[in-house]
Amino acid sequence: METAFILAVVGLTSLGVAPFARRGARRGLRSAAARALETIGLGVVFLFLNVAVGFCLALVARLVARGFVSLYLNDDVTIVALSALQALVVQWWREPEAR
Amino acid sequence: MSGRGALRGIGATGVALFAAFAFTPLPNLVYGVLIPNAPPLEPAAAIVVLGAGADGDVLTDDSLRRALGGVALFRHGLAPLLVMLGPGREPSEATVRVRLAEDLGVPPAALLADSRGLTTRDEARVSWEDLAPRGVRKILLVTGSQHVPRAAALFRRVGFEVVPAPVDDVPNGPRRPQARLELARALFRELLARAYNRVAGYL
Repeated sequence: METAFILAVVGLTSLGVAPFARRGARRGLRSAAARALETIGLGVVFLFLNVAVGFCLALVARLVARGFVSLYLNDDVTIVALSALQALVVQWWREPEAR
Repeated sequence: MSGRGALRGIGATGVALFAAFAFTPLPNLVYGVLIPNAPPLEPAAAIVVLGAGADGDVLTDDSLRRALGGVALFRHGLAPLLVMLGPGREPSEATVRVRLAEDLGVPPAALLADSRGLTTRDEARVSWEDLAPRGVRKILLVTGSQHVPRAAALFRRVGFEVVPAPVDDVPNGPRRPQARLELARALFRELLARAYNRVAGYL
């Protein structure tokens, strides 16, 4: 029930916005979806990178500084949001300049 | 495969996994496979409640749940001693939990706080240091259900006889997508922790 409700809401808003989005579209929907997947893929790569580097830094801090950094810090949900932001910036950076 | 093609593949896999974990009962199935059912509770010489974090003198939800789980076991007469763990500057998580237990009617003489343990392995060690001199071997171990297998193994390794007393930090049969994602996240985190402990030779 909960799943169906959420998917129905998202489906309805997608259908509602589609005609307006189509008017200003500069590429096909298939191409847009492919770009979206690229950005998400980049976000996943950044997420793995951030978690791996964070894990290593926490271990190094324990060994070198003899301080305690919890490995669970790498589980913070903000890392997901920041990885998505990194992916968006890199993706737009690589896009041709709009004229 | 080009760089863009590889990114699309990773992205598609990410979306598929997100959909599977959020919108299907997959996390519930994974939970059933990874987390064995706890054996029935039985009396022990002490109840040991593992730390789960605090912000200042405010316990996290997980910490509060585990502390209440420990108090409930004590009130049911399953052990005469209740050990609260949890690090931090004073008042540490352990101290805050002991105050809570006192407020809930646990006699101060039956309570012990130890804030030295920073990891589960540490907690096993400091618990042994606290309890072995008192002749305590058999303990009821209170922690999150997904954390129980690893924690029990670490406590057995230092010498305890462990009776698991799991508390559900996250619902283990969720129907809401967000709750399913939280369960998946908890399971993934625990899998990583088990892998780390194995590689480091702690398990």
